[in-house]
Amino acid sequence: MLDYHLKLVGRSLRQRPGHALLVVAGIALGVAVATVFSAIRHSFAKDPIPSKSGVLYYVRMDSWDPAHPNFEPVPSQVTYMDAMGIMRSSIPVRQSVMTRAELNVIPEPGKAHPSREPTRLCFGDFFTMFDVPFEYGSGWDRKADEARDPVVVLSKDLNDRVFGGGNSVGKVLRIEDRDFRVVGVLARWSPSVLFYDLVSRRAPGTPEALFIPFNLVGPMQIQSSGSQANWKPAAGPGYEAEYLQGEKTWLQMWVELPTAAKVAEYKDFVDAYTMSQKKVGRFQRPLDNRVTPLLEWMVDRGAVPPETTAMMIVAILFLSVCALNLMGLLMAKFLARAPQIGVRRALGARRWDIFVLHLLECEVVALAGGAVGFVAAWLALFGVNNYVKSMYSRSDVFQMDWTMLLFAVVASLAAGLMAGLYPAYRVCRLSPSTYLKLQ
Amino acid sequence: MEELGPIFRAMLRNKVKFGLIVVEIALTLAVVANCAAMILKARREISQPSGFDDENLLIVTARPLDSAMRKDESLADMLRRDREAVRATPGVHAMLETFFTPWGPNLTTTGVRPAESTMEQLTVQSYPTGEGLTETLGINLVEGREFSREDVDRDTQRAKVFNATQHEHDARGKPLTSFEQDVVISQAFAKHAFGDGPYVGRWLDDEAGTLFHVVGVVDRFYKPGLASDARSNEHVMFYADRDESYGRGFRALVRTEPGQAVLVARDLEERLARPGEPRQIKVERIPEVRTTHFGPQRLVTTLMGVVIALLVLVTALGIAGLTTFSVTERTRQIGTRRALGATTGDILRYFLAENWLLTTLGLVLGFGLAMGLNVIVVSVFAGAKLNVPLLVLSMILLWSVGLGSAIAPALRGARISPAVATRNI
Repeated sequence: MLDYHLKLVGRSLRQRPGHALLVVAGIALGVAVATVFSAIRHSFAKDPIPSKSGVLYYVRMDSWDPAHPNFEPVPSQVTYMDAMGIMRSSIPVRQSVMTRAELNVIPEPGKAHPSREPTRLCFGDFFTMFDVPFEYGSGWDRKADEARDPVVVLSKDLNDRVFGGGNSVGKVLRIEDRDFRVVGVLARWSPSVLFYDLVSRRAPGTPEALFIPFNLVGPMQIQSSGSQANWKPAAGPGYEAEYLQGEKTWLQMWVELPTAAKVAEYKDFVDAYTMSQKKVGRFQRPLDNRVTPLLEWMVDRGAVPPETTAMMIVAILFLSVCALNLMGLLMAKFLARAPQIGVRRALGARRWDIFVLHLLECEVVALAGGAVGFVAAWLALFGVNNYVKSMYSRSDVFQMDWTMLLFAVVASLAAGLMAGLYPAYRVCRLSPSTYLKLQ
Repeated sequence: MEELGPIFRAMLRNKVKFGLIVVEIALTLAVVANCAAMILKARREISQPSGFDDENLLIVTARPLDSAMRKDESLADMLRRDREAVRATPGVHAMLETFFTPWGPNLTTTGVRPAESTMEQLTVQSYPTGEGLTETLGINLVEGREFSREDVDRDTQRAKVFNATQHEHDARGKPLTSFEQDVVISQAFAKHAFGDGPYVGRWLDDEAGTLFHVVGVVDRFYKPGLASDARSNEHVMFYADRDESYGRGFRALVRTEPGQAVLVARDLEERLARPGEPRQIKVERIPEVRTTHFGPQRLVTTLMGVVIALLVLVTALGIAGLTTFSVTERTRQIGTRRALGATTGDILRYFLAENWLLTTLGLVLGFGLAMGLNVIVVSVFAGAKLNVPLLVLSMILLWSVGLGSAIAPALRGARISPAVATRNI
């Protein structure tokens, strides 16, 4: 039966190809606009690391000034003292405290110019924790963390610039005043949202070019280039007093906790840690520590700009207008075919058959429109990406994926339904006698 | 327009067909008006003036990449040579060493309050700066004096000595020894902190025990697009000091002679790149910084503009389609009316009146819909508030689009010959 219906639909569409084309173009336009805007929003809102997002947690502790309120309920970052304190825990499978800095890279003369590069200071666990893909080599191990080994992982891009690409594992690169041994080179890695650092940069950033052991911050006196907040003046002059011994919150803390039991256990550990600090006069505010799941942390930090949601609503309204337009066109077409339907009914077709036949025709054109619209949206995203290149210094922020394809299919089916339901109902209610008489 | 009654009654018999277009127009108005409001909001942000001579301002950065070059002695020498190199560049009108960037991201805030007062702490932007403040930014000194090179060198030395000594602190961590610093503040901040002037000679202090001595007041300072509280964008405090922290090197705002920014920028890059000194040299023009700064707003504007254009097009096609359909459907009636003496003008007027009625109904419905949608957009997404003039403007636009797209099919209808009435179909 479906075969037969589809054959009829095909015939109907071929009868008036101009009309069919107009209808398909209308739906395509609507689906294209809706898909582009949804894809933009989706890039911010989607799970950036589906394989791990369930086990990654961001840690915060309320070490703030007892006398003055903070602008956030809990400081978004932790102090060096507290980071070191909770890093001692063996509850998390993996954990890393981290910060962002700008460091000078001095390649061999003649190979490349010296440059300042965004750097992430982290623990070796970082790479496995966040599923970072490697082209050559790997991250460093915990022994390197403890020994403060000068080892470095390079982004693919920086490896291309300073070593001309290729496997540079084992080579030496001068960073600031030290020689670092290259242990790994990343493969192309550009998560649409920089999910591991939602504090120092706005959402769609670029991963750092260099990754070095966090424990080098002290010896190299590295200052963070990210956001930092301080409520208590440093106890003395110099780097140590300000960064390592003070109440300055400037570090991000991530842990990997595989089960709910571990999460509870870890929360208790952090609370116990702050209770012990209360005894020495710190943490004078009421106990308020947070161990937040990654996806919840993204919502807290407003990873999805509200404008993109507003734009998506506008786009869906746009698609509705296209569907309404289509409804008018289809109604005209179907009603013009009334005599033919009359014959069909007289020959024994049930109302239901007529209804299904016409609704099917609507969905066929809607799907065709959806397919064209999806391709158009995909092309349009190239344009948008090119446009945002100046802002985020990358041209792959917004991308299509299977979810967006599914969205386009559902959106076009829904538009087809919205447009076709009433016209199909109208024609199946027509009384055959009226039209048979007229012939 | 005595036909309106019959037209309306005819439409009522065809509720769905006409209702569709009415709803479509209403939706279109709601979307167009709200998009237009968002575009206007973004455009307002993009076009607000900084009050400085943006077109002729350059940001010059020269950062030492070699740690040996960041040692005190060589750094001071490097800074002196950079200063002289910039001054000697033809087309340079004035220079100000500072880390302040109009439209740029770097913002340092300090909490201060008038000394000996019980006022709440006031947040103020604070920047280390040198000589040439008013000349470079194009602002005026209304009271007191601005800094000279001597102020900067002396204050930098004093700060260094102060920071190098171990200080005694009280229980709250406040240093028992205090440090005095001369500051130039903006008039808006002076008013906010002290009320009425004169302001020179007054004091501010901060939590750490630093005392700020007001030595000058500038008439206006504005760093737009930073704080949600627009007033604090005008609150600024300059102090004379070379910020020589970690690797920052030389950084200055340079004002060029009118229209020479591009040439001077290229010249400066060459003059600052000295052989044997590995440094990162960057010369940016403020209009470019500004373009980057407003990237998201520009993206919103463009995308919303495209949506409006497409939507109006789709609706216009919809109206044209409906009118064409109406004309085809009524070919025999039109023929009959023509045979009974109706002129082409009568027929044309009939269709246009029908269209006018439809559009007007749609717009009335759309007015409410637009307002409703705007309530959601404003409350949920912190969007732009819709005002009545904008809505009326959108209505006029759609009204003319509606009429415009009906004209061609209506004319075709009007040209139907009376002979059709007698023809068998």
